Amino acid sequence: MALAVMLLNSASFHAGCCRHKVLLSLRAPLLGDSKLCSSYRRPGAEPAKKLSWQNADFSFKKGIDHLKTQLSLLKKETQDYLKGPSGHQISQHLLEQTKVLWQFRSQEDLNKWVISSDVEIGGKSKVYIKLGRNNQAALLYGTLNTEAPRDGETKYSGYCSMRSRPAVGSFNRKKYYDWSNFNTLYLRVRGDGRPWMVNIYTDPYFSHQKDDLYSYFMFTRGGPYWEEIKIPFSKFFLSSRGRVQDNQHPIWLDKVRTLGFTIGDKIDGPFQLEIDFLGLLNDRAHREEFAYEAYDKNTPV
Amino acid sequence: MNPQAKLICTISLLLGTTITLSSNHWALAWTGLEINTLAILPLIAKSHHPRSIEAATKYFLVQAAASALILFSSMANAWHTGQWDITQLTCPTSCLILTTAIAMKLGMVPFHFWFPEVLQGCPLTTGLLLSTAMKLPPITLLFMTSQSLNHTPLVTMAVLSAALGGWMGLNQTQIRKILAFSSISHLGWMSIIIVYSPKLAMLNFYLYVMITAAVFLTMNSIKTLNLSTLMTSWAKTPTLSAMLMLTLLSLAGLPPLTGFLPKWLIIQELTKQDMVPAAVTMALLSLLSLFFYLRLAYCATVTLPPHTTNHMKQWHINKPTSPLVAILVTMSIILLPISPTILTTI
Repeated sequence: MALAVMLLNSASFHAGCCRHKVLLSLRAPLLGDSKLCSSYRRPGAEPAKKLSWQNADFSFKKGIDHLKTQLSLLKKETQDYLKGPSGHQISQHLLEQTKVLWQFRSQEDLNKWVISSDVEIGGKSKVYIKLGRNNQAALLYGTLNTEAPRDGETKYSGYCSMRSRPAVGSFNRKKYYDWSNFNTLYLRVRGDGRPWMVNIYTDPYFSHQKDDLYSYFMFTRGGPYWEEIKIPFSKFFLSSRGRVQDNQHPIWLDKVRTLGFTIGDKIDGPFQLEIDFLGLLNDRAHREEFAYEAYDKNTPV
Repeated sequence: MNPQAKLICTISLLLGTTITLSSNHWALAWTGLEINTLAILPLIAKSHHPRSIEAATKYFLVQAAASALILFSSMANAWHTGQWDITQLTCPTSCLILTTAIAMKLGMVPFHFWFPEVLQGCPLTTGLLLSTAMKLPPITLLFMTSQSLNHTPLVTMAVLSAALGGWMGLNQTQIRKILAFSSISHLGWMSIIIVYSPKLAMLNFYLYVMITAAVFLTMNSIKTLNLSTLMTSWAKTPTLSAMLMLTLLSLAGLPPLTGFLPKWLIIQELTKQDMVPAAVTMALLSLLSLFFYLRLAYCATVTLPPHTTNHMKQWHINKPTSPLVAILVTMSIILLPISPTILTTI
């Protein structure tokens, strides 16, 4: 669409015998010159830097180093493949009833997570993450601000989130977690009484479903004691672009990509969440398959 | 699913298969393939789960592309030779394009990436249809054109299918994906012999359909979808679990079970055709598949899970097992002694 508009503009310039302007208007996006091609930038968005192809470093040595890194990753993956599923013995896979996925003991553990807030849409919330006392937990803290950005189109604001980095294999191939042996998410956290939302993203293949998210709520107590919160996977509901879907489906745990926490309770003020570890549990007392209506609701009478 | 919709889908599947099997003209064969593709889509996406819809979309895209290639191959042949007869495929380019298209349809390496994902996204009964009934029309086209096809790409794809089908099935814990890789591996065995002895390939296909149907229906009866659940399924039907072990070993091709017959005959035929290295390679690659069949049998029957198991034991199954399961399981195990009778039909 933008290309068609650009071509039309260039055609009209050409009709007016302004050949240099034609070339300039076609050249402008290539050079990244924002003065020549106007583009709206949302408040809070970073100014347009160099275009992606300009960032590419065509260095032969760097390419060889990158190839060596990827080949060593591939070698490690092959060795893990020979051991068993996910690099562990099959007996471990069949017998395990608990598994610690992420624990926060060093900066390296923190680097596996990404924090974000409504600054990306022009909001004013702040979020930070650091290691807690004695390097025994991660501390996610900040300030929530529900003031909407004044850009004429955004009505609501005020969210902060923390999301695990998606696992990537050799040659940037997507890796997925297989949680099908477990039925409960186990979190050891110490909050401040504010409610959080736990989100699981399964990264579907097609873009039609890229906004699908499985979510559930985590109500924290606040107080000096640690909480051990167990959320069965049967409780997670399906939402798309933030809207809870009418047709609900249970989450399929064989291809999970990321786990995230979001706070958006519409209350201005500071928040704080300490996380000791995140794990999985097979709770044999939990027999619910799915918490929401799964029968056909529109059968003809 | 709406019973009327299910009936229409089932009838369309039968119609499409029959049209392709009985056709002499490429356009009619293509029509049958397209009817089959469209009829199976509602069955794959029956539950409307996002993953089922993803599986249906992937299936449609791959099959549509393959059907387009088949049509293109037949049109190229018609352009060069002036006729549309399926058995008169003489243009070499058309043969190559058709080989590629059939490989995509069947899920042979290197066009196999869609198959485990699609099978994982659909229920076990639909997976059974995808692994057996939906393979019949493309295999038939391969059978009818086998004398015209170049054997080099077929043999290459067959060896790769046997290799990758075995290798990639090694670490799977989801049963549908394991059966998908088993299917890819068996397709390798079928396609390596189809040029030299098409009837032997069809025998391999029929026996594969019978044994795979037995496995799928057994898994459907005990309602198990992954290895952990399979470990506790013995409590539901101990006899069926024991027979499942034998059925899986038959699928692996171990004597004295039925599944040994096609592998033995194929190796014998390859040796007669002076393809000893190919025969040895295929025999060695079948060991990879044997590993995961043995693992399935180990989990289902050979071991008792420890006292504290991962899943609540379900002590009974809700519906009685269909008699068809018993017939298929029995035939999957005991047909080897009557192999002289079977051989007279080849």
